[in-house]
Amino acid sequence: MARLYGEPVEVQTGEDGLPAWFGWRRRRYAVHAVQEYWLVNRDWWRESNPVPARPELEYWRVEASAGKGHPAGIYELRRDVAAEVWTLRRVED
Amino acid sequence: MTLAAPAEAFTHLHVASSYSLRYGTATPRALAARAADLGMPALALTDRDGLYGAFKHVKACAEAGIKPLLGVDLPLLTSDPTMPRGGRVTLLAVGRQGWASLCHLVSAAHAAHAASSAETARAADDDVPAVTPELVAEHAAGLIVLLGPASDVGRAVAGRRRDQARRLLDGWRGRGCEAVVEIVDHLEHKSTVNAVRLAELARDTGTVAVLANAVRYLDRADSPAAQVLDAARNLVPLGSPRLVAHNGRAYLAGPADMTRVAERVTAAMTGPGGRSPDARGAARLLADTAELARRCTLDPAGDLGVGAHHLPETQGAVGEQQRALRARCEHAILAGRYRTAHPSARPGIGRQRAARNARDRLEHELAIIGATGMAPYFLTVADVADRVRAAGIRCAIRGSGAGSFVNHLLGISAIDPLEHDLLMERFLTPVRATLPDIDLDVESARRLDAYRIIFDAYGAERTACVSMMETYRARSAIRDVAAAMSLPPDEIGAIAKAFPHIRAKHITAALGELPELRRSRVNTEQLSTIFNIAEQLDGLPRHVAMHPCGVLLSDRTLLDRTAVQASAEGFPLSHLDKDDAEIAGVIKLDVLGVRMQSAMAHTLAEIERTTAEKIDIDAMPRDDEPTYAMIGRSDTLGCFQIESPGQRELVKKMAPRDIADLIVDISLFRPGPVNSDMITPFLRARHGLAEPRYPDEKLRGALQETGGVVVFHEQVLRIIDVLTGCGLAEADLVRRHLSTPGGPERTAPWFRAKADIRGFDPETIERVWEVVSAFGGFGFCKAHAAAFAIPVYQSAWLKRHHPAAFYAGVLTHDPGMYPKRVIIGDARLSGVQVLPVDVNASSGEWRTEQPAAGDPVPDDRRPARWAIRLPGRRDDHRAADSGAPPAIRCSLREVKGISDAEVERVVSGQPYASLRDFWDRARVSRPVVERLALIGAFDSLYPGGAPADPGGAPADPGGAPADPGGAPAPTRRDLLARVGVLARQAASARQGTSQALDLFVSADTADGMADLVPAGELRELDIAERVEAELEILGFDVSQHVIDFYADLLAGLNVVRSADLDQCRNGEMILVAGAKVATQTPAVRSGQRIIFASLDDAVGLVDLAFFESVQDRCAARLFGSWLLLVRGRVRRAGAGPMAVTVNATECWDIPALEEIRLTGGLAAVLAALATGHDLQAGPPPAATRDPAAPNNLITPASADPADAGADPDPTRDRDNASARPLVFANGFALSPYAETGAPGGSLKTPPRTLWHASPGSTITPK
Repeated sequence: MARLYGEPVEVQTGEDGLPAWFGWRRRRYAVHAVQEYWLVNRDWWRESNPVPARPELEYWRVEASAGKGHPAGIYELRRDVAAEVWTLRRVED
Repeated sequence: MTLAAPAEAFTHLHVASSYSLRYGTATPRALAARAADLGMPALALTDRDGLYGAFKHVKACAEAGIKPLLGVDLPLLTSDPTMPRGGRVTLLAVGRQGWASLCHLVSAAHAAHAASSAETARAADDDVPAVTPELVAEHAAGLIVLLGPASDVGRAVAGRRRDQARRLLDGWRGRGCEAVVEIVDHLEHKSTVNAVRLAELARDTGTVAVLANAVRYLDRADSPAAQVLDAARNLVPLGSPRLVAHNGRAYLAGPADMTRVAERVTAAMTGPGGRSPDARGAARLLADTAELARRCTLDPAGDLGVGAHHLPETQGAVGEQQRALRARCEHAILAGRYRTAHPSARPGIGRQRAARNARDRLEHELAIIGATGMAPYFLTVADVADRVRAAGIRCAIRGSGAGSFVNHLLGISAIDPLEHDLLMERFLTPVRATLPDIDLDVESARRLDAYRIIFDAYGAERTACVSMMETYRARSAIRDVAAAMSLPPDEIGAIAKAFPHIRAKHITAALGELPELRRSRVNTEQLSTIFNIAEQLDGLPRHVAMHPCGVLLSDRTLLDRTAVQASAEGFPLSHLDKDDAEIAGVIKLDVLGVRMQSAMAHTLAEIERTTAEKIDIDAMPRDDEPTYAMIGRSDTLGCFQIESPGQRELVKKMAPRDIADLIVDISLFRPGPVNSDMITPFLRARHGLAEPRYPDEKLRGALQETGGVVVFHEQVLRIIDVLTGCGLAEADLVRRHLSTPGGPERTAPWFRAKADIRGFDPETIERVWEVVSAFGGFGFCKAHAAAFAIPVYQSAWLKRHHPAAFYAGVLTHDPGMYPKRVIIGDARLSGVQVLPVDVNASSGEWRTEQPAAGDPVPDDRRPARWAIRLPGRRDDHRAADSGAPPAIRCSLREVKGISDAEVERVVSGQPYASLRDFWDRARVSRPVVERLALIGAFDSLYPGGAPADPGGAPADPGGAPADPGGAPAPTRRDLLARVGVLARQAASARQGTSQALDLFVSADTADGMADLVPAGELRELDIAERVEAELEILGFDVSQHVIDFYADLLAGLNVVRSADLDQCRNGEMILVAGAKVATQTPAVRSGQRIIFASLDDAVGLVDLAFFESVQDRCAARLFGSWLLLVRGRVRRAGAGPMAVTVNATECWDIPALEEIRLTGGLAAVLAALATGHDLQAGPPPAATRDPAAPNNLITPASADPADAGADPDPTRDRDNASARPLVFANGFALSPYAETGAPGGSLKTPPRTLWHASPGSTITPK
């Protein structure tokens, strides 16, 4: 089942630049695998910044779990490159 | 993830430049340069839907030192209903055959598109030409088909329909196409997994796979601009679901980035053969890509025909054509068909000598033509000119071709270069490799006829029109960006129109620098995003259009070398623009439609019609003194080229005496010479105020005609030749080189060395070099000026000797810069009566007419309180001189909204007996009939109801009774009401009820209207209403000059009339007034922007100059108002009579002042003028900068070579934040705002109202 969110999360990336773990609702999730990665420009035209610098949003669709014993789920994380803000977008479990 | 470096360098195979209209943002030059920087050996250009950028790409690659590949990206039509629509396919050309196939395929796609109207099978993406797989197969020879994610195969893969994908791929191969799979991964949602599946499909079917990046911009940061283009192209706002997502990855990625893509895709492949996570999969992909790139690399000379000339072969092989050319020219000399065969054209030279000169010149030119193999070129152009003239169309040469004697003998040119000392080398030399350029001016009204003649004669396989790109400039860029960002339409229009017609990249600079924008409400933070992006669109192509004059003529291989598409005018449009034509080696003949030629044709036809005199205006002598006298008085409104405010000032100063003077005048009136140290010494020598000075005595021969001043290119050639002995041909190359950046520096050592060898002393060499190098960009081609001087003279001669016919021609074809009301005013001042629109007398053109005895006398329309002397310059210039009818009749076409069909019907049904008769037989639409009534077109049918002389008593509201029965004649309002009745009757007649027809005698009662709408009950229009109607319906004021409505105001302020200006003292402060008829911002030496404006005050024109110091407070009002009062200082500018300009210090809107007068009287107006409304208090500035003063302030600036004006393919220079002046080598600085159109509306159609409509005003001005 897929649920949509939009909550900010804290994400730690590894040396290779891929997310290694993230914290959500006071739990820490370890990323096992990156399934998909894609990019989309934000709606820069809605913003008041005259020059849309670094308009990309990064999407990471990862398989992660909250630790041993917890089931793995699919989590879609989004990173606003310019603002350096991570958001959790979808959860499928 | 490190990897062994790929064995092959990477070449991009799928690239869209800015010639993918409103899709790509990078120019071919920028792309090639970047590819070279990235170390790539080659680059493909595969623009969408057309081949517009192909030759530019080839040239750009050559300059960048890499090899070119060419292809195209087309929409794919498929008849398979299960396939999603909107697919695309990319094609690459292999060798010469491939390029020919590509051209034919693109032409076929465009032809199919034009043929199909409401087709269901149309591709979804925009309204563009598309191909079916079958069509591609027809032209498959030499083409590689790239099937990428956007293709039918790619989409099937994305839809997880693997079997269908296989079938489609087999289908391509089965049709005989060489199909290759194209892997693209922009890291969009699911694009990686789709790329992987496509790669697996290729592997499993044994199809070659290549890697590409579907490039559409240069850097990732360009993707917002590309997004805006998508929105503009699809006519939706940003954020619309119809638009694809962007993420900045469709850029010209470097080899390392592409290697990463290859690795990413191949590492994820599964299926038979297992995973291939090692380097081999990626290496294989990259190797196959490089191999395909090698195959598709093109050789410009061998494959595209670049560097060779492909001239029409219709008149035989080249050698035969040279013989034919010689024979024809020799025959023309024997027959005396050149101007210097006649004594009047060669004063001081005898017959024998002239003949020898002619023969020597011919030999000289034939040698050059033979050496360059250009005989077919000359014979083709002569053939075209002969055919055009045979069809009765006026045809004149333009440009440096006037310098060729062969052109004159062939009848292409009416100018004998021996008469004006013109040089062949300025036109064609064996040293320069390019094709010469001949331009033909033809009557504008018959230009398309001329095209048809050419196309019929040479056929579709040899001819096509040149295309051009309409590009984004400030206004259009702002409009599209603002629309994409969802601003309301009204606001978009207001913002865009606030800017002058500048380039998009100068938007931000203009906001800071132009006074009328600085204080406007457009200069805000919120709009800065829009302006910022609009600037990035600078110069990008938006639409392809037919070039207004370029026609290509080639041998039969034209369609193997360029694609064509249909144009709106019905002629095939090539994908070559005017610069490509030269690279492609075909003739580009410019056939320009010039309205003055149409005007002159009409004038000559009118003269013949009314006096049976057939004037051969091209053959007559060009020395008529009265004509030159008229020019010298600057009485040149309506004349070709010399009617502008700036030109009128120049001819006043120069007072030209003959054609040679006109040639100099035209050459001097351009940026650089104007008000610089070229004109002043010339005029001083000319008027005998100073001795001509020559840099060296040996240059006297070359410079004598211009008093020692270097004016013409031809003189520069002679100077260089005299000093260095290099010959005229080489000298022409040097001259061209001098105007390139850094050219003078490179040429100087050679020049000095050569001159030294020839024995010139160092001082002389330096003196001459200074003149030559500084002059580099300024001179004018004398041949070009001579070609122009002929119609200048001809139009002036016609104006002087046949004024009525002349004005008829000018008003019919509207060739000049002034609105028609000014021309009409000028006609009146020449004694030509202007008769209003009349349903029985008017036709579809302005024509001369004999005024009837009862018509009102035209002249003095001004109210008596204005004491005026009639200007002396009109005294010797009466219409009655010519013997022709002294009046002109307004044309029906001037009536707003009348259609061509209606005009024809009205004319064919003349004469009409009554309004009803007209209504029944002419069948003109009701609004047009109403307008005709309002402007008095029916007045002659109802004599007595016509308004009295506007200069005299006001019209009697009842109208003078003229009917013998004693009933008053109908007023215009009555007629208007009757139109309403007729319309209702027509409606009820359609419904079956009929109307009895009265059988009375007089027109008024015969149509039964007198009973329904009795005459005289409705008040007649007063003069103000009449003039308003005229302005609204015709665009000009016939009954009374608009300025006369303010006579009380202007008299009270002691405004000086234009006719009295020559009585003012130099430096005197005066007030002038009038309707604005022209504004100009020509270039001046200091790099400032100076606004020249002319006001028409019913007796003439007042010329004004607004310098930068006053523009801050004046510019907005100057551009925004129509009727102006201006305070300024008189400046007498020269030796000739009436050389007066007013340097403006303040200006006001007259209707606004009139309103103040009506409420508060003259005292209130004077108070308002003294305080200057919203101005700072204080006296006007004492000394305004006069550009003629020697010590000018030169604005410090840096030269921007991209602005040199000759650059056809501008790289977008994002660093050019300020629009800085362009500085020439001698310090002359050219303002970037010079010669840009002024903001606000057009001046040719004046505003339709007289009165300033302030909200809440209840005062109705009388």
